[in-house]
Amino acid sequence: MLSPIDIEVIRNALSAAAAEMDVTVWRTSRSTIVRELLDYSTAVFDADGWNLAQSARIPQHLNSMSAALRTLLEKFVAAEDWGADDIVITNDPYCGGQHLPDIVAFRPVFHEGVRVAYVGTLCHHIDVGGLAAGSYAAKATEIFQEGLRIPPVKLFDKGVRNEAVWSIIRQNIRKPDLLLGDLQSQIASLEVGRSALALLPARFGAPAMLEASARILDMSEEAMRAAIAAMPDGTYEFTDQLDDDGIDLGRPIMLTVRLTIAGDSVTVDLSGCSPQVQGPTNATLASSNSAVMFALMSASGGGFAMNAGCYRPVHVIAPEGLVVNARAPAPVAHRVAITHRLLNAMYGALHQAVPERIPAAYYGCSYVTTFQTIRADDARDVLVEIEIGGSGAAPAKDGVHAYSSGMHNNSNIPIEMIEAQMPLTITRYALLPGSGGDGQYRGGLGLVREWRIESPRCFFTANMDRFFSQPYGLAGGKPAAVGRLDLIRGRTTTPIPPKSDNVPLVAGDIVRLETSGGGGFGPPAARPAAARAADRKRGYV
Amino acid sequence: MTRPIRIAVDIGGTFTDLQILDARTGTVVAWKTPTTPADPSEGLMVGVREAASRFGFALSDVGLLLHGTTIATNAVLERNLADGVLLTTAGFEDVLEITRHVRRDIYGLAPDPFPCLIARDRRLGVTERIRFDGSIETPLALGDTLAALAALRPEAVAIVFLHSYANPAHERALRQAILAAHPGLPVSISSDISPEIREYERSSTTVLNAVLVPVVRAYMDRLRGRIGEDGFAPRIFLVQSNGGVCSLETAAEQPARLLLSGPSGGALAASRIARELGRPNLVAVDMGGTSYDVSVVQDGRVSIVTQGEIDGLPVRLPMVEMRTIGAGGGSIAAVQAGGRLTVGPRSAGARPGPVAYGRGGTEPTVTDANLALGRLDAQFFLGGAMQLDMVATGAALARLGNALGLGPEAAAEGILALTNASLAAAVRLSLFEKGLHPRDFALLSFGGAGGLHATEVADEMGMTEVIFPREPGTLSAYGILFSDLVQDISRSRLFTVGPAALPGLTALIAELRAEADARLARDGVAEPDRALTVAADMRYHGQAFELLVPWGDVTAPDAAALAALEARFHDSHRQRFSYSSEGEAVEIVTLRVTATGRLPRPETTTPVPAARPARKGTRRVFTGGAWHDAVVWDREALDADTVIGPAIIEEAFATHYIATGWQARLGEAGAIIAQRGAR
Repeated sequence: MLSPIDIEVIRNALSAAAAEMDVTVWRTSRSTIVRELLDYSTAVFDADGWNLAQSARIPQHLNSMSAALRTLLEKFVAAEDWGADDIVITNDPYCGGQHLPDIVAFRPVFHEGVRVAYVGTLCHHIDVGGLAAGSYAAKATEIFQEGLRIPPVKLFDKGVRNEAVWSIIRQNIRKPDLLLGDLQSQIASLEVGRSALALLPARFGAPAMLEASARILDMSEEAMRAAIAAMPDGTYEFTDQLDDDGIDLGRPIMLTVRLTIAGDSVTVDLSGCSPQVQGPTNATLASSNSAVMFALMSASGGGFAMNAGCYRPVHVIAPEGLVVNARAPAPVAHRVAITHRLLNAMYGALHQAVPERIPAAYYGCSYVTTFQTIRADDARDVLVEIEIGGSGAAPAKDGVHAYSSGMHNNSNIPIEMIEAQMPLTITRYALLPGSGGDGQYRGGLGLVREWRIESPRCFFTANMDRFFSQPYGLAGGKPAAVGRLDLIRGRTTTPIPPKSDNVPLVAGDIVRLETSGGGGFGPPAARPAAARAADRKRGYV
Repeated sequence: MTRPIRIAVDIGGTFTDLQILDARTGTVVAWKTPTTPADPSEGLMVGVREAASRFGFALSDVGLLLHGTTIATNAVLERNLADGVLLTTAGFEDVLEITRHVRRDIYGLAPDPFPCLIARDRRLGVTERIRFDGSIETPLALGDTLAALAALRPEAVAIVFLHSYANPAHERALRQAILAAHPGLPVSISSDISPEIREYERSSTTVLNAVLVPVVRAYMDRLRGRIGEDGFAPRIFLVQSNGGVCSLETAAEQPARLLLSGPSGGALAASRIARELGRPNLVAVDMGGTSYDVSVVQDGRVSIVTQGEIDGLPVRLPMVEMRTIGAGGGSIAAVQAGGRLTVGPRSAGARPGPVAYGRGGTEPTVTDANLALGRLDAQFFLGGAMQLDMVATGAALARLGNALGLGPEAAAEGILALTNASLAAAVRLSLFEKGLHPRDFALLSFGGAGGLHATEVADEMGMTEVIFPREPGTLSAYGILFSDLVQDISRSRLFTVGPAALPGLTALIAELRAEADARLARDGVAEPDRALTVAADMRYHGQAFELLVPWGDVTAPDAAALAALEARFHDSHRQRFSYSSEGEAVEIVTLRVTATGRLPRPETTTPVPAARPARKGTRRVFTGGAWHDAVVWDREALDADTVIGPAIIEEAFATHYIATGWQARLGEAGAIIAQRGAR
């Protein structure tokens, strides 16, 4: 029987190992998406593949790697065939993954012949082939168009590189040096994690390591159950929607959540969600689970270690064939749209259970814009930006303007850097007055950004939502404004459809994006006069 | 030698630490006096007077006062700042409030906005636009800007125009117009304060500077008011974040340079000790009541970064690199939901402090654990200056133990085990992120609480040497004592490395060097005492961050010098990021000149051991689950003795614990060097 001190020392060592793995990926990766957008995660798992500690930076990744490892162990690689020097990778969304650019890599950790843990890394790679650079085609209708699909396979077998796999990957992607460089850094990170973890059984013994792992999961389960038990029993339902899938225009995708809290466990029934769609706005179950878990963990009040023990009291019902559990070969590249909206719906349901904790809807969209500029000498540059909107008002607090919320967490790009490197000029970057929902507590403001094209030609691609359905208010609070995307050419302003591939632009054109704010909380009549006066003084309304 | 005394003062939250060097004898002595928060210059003068009478010098003997101050830092933390106005390029007034987006608390549902020091109604857009190459797209048009500014009754003004690092003309013209209308109004322009690319970081730095000017000016006035008391008339310099000092005039114009100066003294001391002991690779750890600060000395040089932050606000200026975690003597141990023991991040601070202080604390802290296990002497705490309530400490540890199913000693040892593990994790990460390994470093331990944990922290990492410098409680002041004047001048301009860049680089280097020379001259540094070094922020095309690469004292680089710089960039990229891409285009984003004005460097002497027995007796110490006898040593009397762990070494303001398996001896420069024996 380990003392609680030993368990805590081991728990901290597991977190430290995940952090060292994280630093290793950051330190050794090549592509901008990994190094600068920090789109990767590292984690440590117990001997059965359950997540013990993670260093996730991106909520979308949180709690999804365990699903991949468990699926892999159950269906593809038997644990007894998996040696200490074997590294297994996959990017298959239909094997517990999310979308093709995310490659996961796992390696077991042994002590004197006993498997004591696994370590794993997930990186969003810059390109895995398919019909559009970046493997994010807006118009894909089956996963085969989205890029190379790697089934669970040993990238290293008994410590030896599986050259066939490396060369198949190299042959099928646009930026092999970057991808293979990032993959190398995932492997380096696994070695760092393995050697850090190996110190623990050497110090405490393998049985103690297994016992500690079990206790760590149990303790988080207990804490999660206590948090759920503190929420009132009942069934809470909420529906939010996406505008469309970009192909069947104007046909909304419904995300319906039916949440039942009974004692110390919770059932999340997603059966009411729309059937899967033709376009890439679909999610696998691992993606949807990640949004469900993120909602519940954030609503739990926290204060305990987040690991697979927290999953145990949560039961998700999501029949195959829906947008939240797409069936192969549905395309899934834009699964983040589903998870943003599923999170909005989860919070709408949770508001009914714990109204004192849940904010009104945030903007709920990753505003992705891509500019491919073509200079007179045909030199090409690409800019990808992800913009954000306002956070929803909390039950006793105004929302925050332009605040990265929910499932993503990226950085913007400095205007001066863009202008120094590309034929683009940013002509405005400002908060958008009036875009937050009114209420006793006002939603945060969205923002406006304008790009002027300086090259003779440019192709513009957008993939965004919340242009028809507003971010909701709660408890009488008003919804926030919807987004808007315009082309300003001379004196003419025309709307650009929010899901567009390769819109041709010319020098002098201005693209103007307005993003949604967050919803308001509480009746507008209850907003104090002083708060309204301050809003007017600062020009927020 | 008319004024032979040099004094370094480090003003902390609780104590004002002094180190006094007498150039006639080379002796260095330390003194401590309580800080006077309302006007820190008062405590400073009290300390100087006390030291003068204690060590027998006249105030008129003091020739140099080197002053570390948290006045700017505290003003920001307490928001005791001027009511400023920000003028920006029209259309970009909100850049300061939009920030860079990435949130820190992933799970939080009621987030606070990022701090923003100038509200939206006090930010004015101005018609003008400069392009990235410095060309003017829209000329400056003042319109009703001056009237709008006057209506806001500003106490300080910041001006940040896009791409002003490439062409400061508009910022300067507007400043001139404002000063004509408001003589004496503090106006900070971004092309002076932080002329570097990235508009948000430059805005944040310039705004911080602007709203600090009136605060720091007021302090300077009070400090100057004390000059002349009893012939006290030293030259005064202030410690900056970059590890050097600057004149009062510079500090009054650019107070942002003081913002993160706290760690400078410790880092300076670390690099001096690295030299004195011939150990070029050190990890310096400073553990006090609330925090643990880790800095790295590699090849004898302190690691410098070009950006830091205070209270969530970026400061784009060179500063000593530091990793800080919230673990100190005051960190509170508690049992969380699910039966987890945690230590920190909550701290009992100075009030109520540890349970043993008897000031109302009820939750056990790291200090309580050290007391209960005999590592600290309850009878000799702070040299016996403070009575401790050991009964209350025992009861608090017993309560904690009950909640965990452990006895009080096991609970206390658990607190220390968890603390040491998290300190070690912080050190490992500081090295790992640079591609360095603990086995190549020695641990330099200082701060009031550092010595109690150092050998066990080293054990956690497999490090085999720990250095305990003299005067660990006033080591920052010791570092400040040997500082030089350092001015950093930078300018962003994008160059692709290649022959075509040479004329532009040469011109920019000449411009920066001329400015550096002028600044040192203004601070009264004679030409032979000046040293200028050049460095470049470099990256591969497409990267969004840069590496700082030294370029020596280059003036007019030729193709070979540029190739050497490029090779050094590839090397340092390989070391830090594990690969390099010799075929890829390399860019210079920012050029920097560091101008050092050497202050006289008097010889110092090592104090002789006190003539009394080094061995003070033995004490019961709990370690490895049992009580053991540990010899207690008197540091000041330690001579040729060998200290074998478990043992305690005591001195006036610090206690060091030498763990089982370690041996310690007096080394060069009065430092104690502990080494791990075979395991």
